[in-house]
Amino acid sequence: MAEPAVALNWAAFGYGGEPRVEHLNLVVPRGAAVALIGPNGSGKSTLLKGLLGLAEITSGQAVVLGSTPEQARRRVGTLPQSDARDISLPITLRRVVTMGLYRNVGPLGRIGKLGREAVSRAIERVGLEHHEHRLFGELSGGQQQRAILARALVSDPQLLLLDEPFNGLDRENREMLLDLVRTQRDEGRTVIVSTHDLEIAQRACTHVLLLANGHLPGQPGHPTAFGPLDEALTLAAVQHAFHDSTVELDQHTVTTTREIDAP
Amino acid sequence: MTDVGLFAMFSLPFMMRALVAIAILSVAAGAVGVFINFRELEFVSDGLVHAVFPGLVIGMLVGGSAGLLPGAVIAAVLAAALFALLGRTGGSGRDAGIAVTLTGLFSLGVVIVSRSESYVSQLQELLFGRILTVTVAQLWQIAVVAAAALVIIWCARRALLFRAFDPAGFENAGLNAFRTDLALNVAVALLVVAGVQALGVLMVIAILVLPVAIARMLSRVLWTLMPIATLIMFGAGNLGLWASFEWSVRGSISASPGALIVLILISAYIVVVGVSFAAQSLSRDSTERAQVAA
Repeated sequence: MAEPAVALNWAAFGYGGEPRVEHLNLVVPRGAAVALIGPNGSGKSTLLKGLLGLAEITSGQAVVLGSTPEQARRRVGTLPQSDARDISLPITLRRVVTMGLYRNVGPLGRIGKLGREAVSRAIERVGLEHHEHRLFGELSGGQQQRAILARALVSDPQLLLLDEPFNGLDRENREMLLDLVRTQRDEGRTVIVSTHDLEIAQRACTHVLLLANGHLPGQPGHPTAFGPLDEALTLAAVQHAFHDSTVELDQHTVTTTREIDAP
Repeated sequence: MTDVGLFAMFSLPFMMRALVAIAILSVAAGAVGVFINFRELEFVSDGLVHAVFPGLVIGMLVGGSAGLLPGAVIAAVLAAALFALLGRTGGSGRDAGIAVTLTGLFSLGVVIVSRSESYVSQLQELLFGRILTVTVAQLWQIAVVAAAALVIIWCARRALLFRAFDPAGFENAGLNAFRTDLALNVAVALLVVAGVQALGVLMVIAILVLPVAIARMLSRVLWTLMPIATLIMFGAGNLGLWASFEWSVRGSISASPGALIVLILISAYIVVVGVSFAAQSLSRDSTERAQVAA
């Protein structure tokens, strides 16, 4: 059997020796698409950072693509949260996608013909070939997310980590991004996508990992359910994850008072 | 033009040397300034400028004019590393740390220089520069230090751009933020060292910040920013040297060329801001009229 994409053996991830998310004991098979769902502070982003080797493993073991998270990083593509981007910079979509090659070519290496072709292919895959010379800041929110996905795809990663990629997108762009996530899965890539939105889990993912906050403020988050979608995504598990009895689970969204009240 | 004529003026050896110094600084400041602007590191640059001051003073006291460059380089590189470390704390902690460092080091420089007998003239020279008395040897120093800054920027350009655009994506890609920040800080520090003998501690920050700020309002094409900033700086430098020369010949007013260059850059900035503001309101008005007509 193929080596799993991610194997966590009672792993905990955190910073400065303090875990932010713990008790992670799970195996993500290759080609799975995992929806990572949980309230703010449950450690979704820390877990994604941990899989990249950018958060400490404070206990247990983590194996990503058969090696340590640091060693696997070159084979992992990411779509980070959009709020830190400086969209005022005068850089084109094509240059943004080219950034996905920087870690491979180093500071002085040439991008070369192969690199330029890979950039063009990645842009075509997300359907933005008619916009490649436009400034990134002039693209719509959905087009920007697709461009960042193209940046992740340009180095042909085996694992994709997407952190809240659907935030702030309108219906049409959500559909396009959902299709792209499904396509990645169909092509054999493993996808882990953190989200507040159950529709993404139901329409694009094969597995779900529900994370809950610690029982007291400041305590690390922990999983409440992991498994194939139809087994793990239950009303009880979602209520447990969100510590909240007002959760509504329907075909589209999970709504909790905690999330609505969150700033 | 004038009694002397522009060509004749710049054929005077000391004016020619000043012009060459301006040309070198224009190219280097254009390249380094783009990334200062992208990273919004104007305050860090100001901190580096002030931190170089005690290095200049100590260098001057120890080795005279020949001691300026080594003193400044040592102080600049130490300050660049310190600021890169402070940058790890981020936000207000970083700014407070830089503010403490810059005022502390600047005061230290003033106290040390005041121990010297020719205190006032030395202080003036360090603060406002002496572009009209730049020697050939100093020109070489400026060229070498500016070239080092350019090489660093060239090597780090991809990482600098990525980090400026998307710090989270940069970190996820496993690129090294500390090394990237250190590279930019050292490049800025070297440019400060290159510029400080010609323009002085107080003026050199302007050539790092203003030409690129103007260029960004004139162009939205990445690769044009550096050449535009360089041309703006070179133009302002020429104009400043000419004005200073003319005034001293005609009116016996010895205005600091460095200060004049900064004033010209600021005037250009104000004009470009005004024009771009007017253009924006015009285009808004015409859009509104079109909407009303529709």
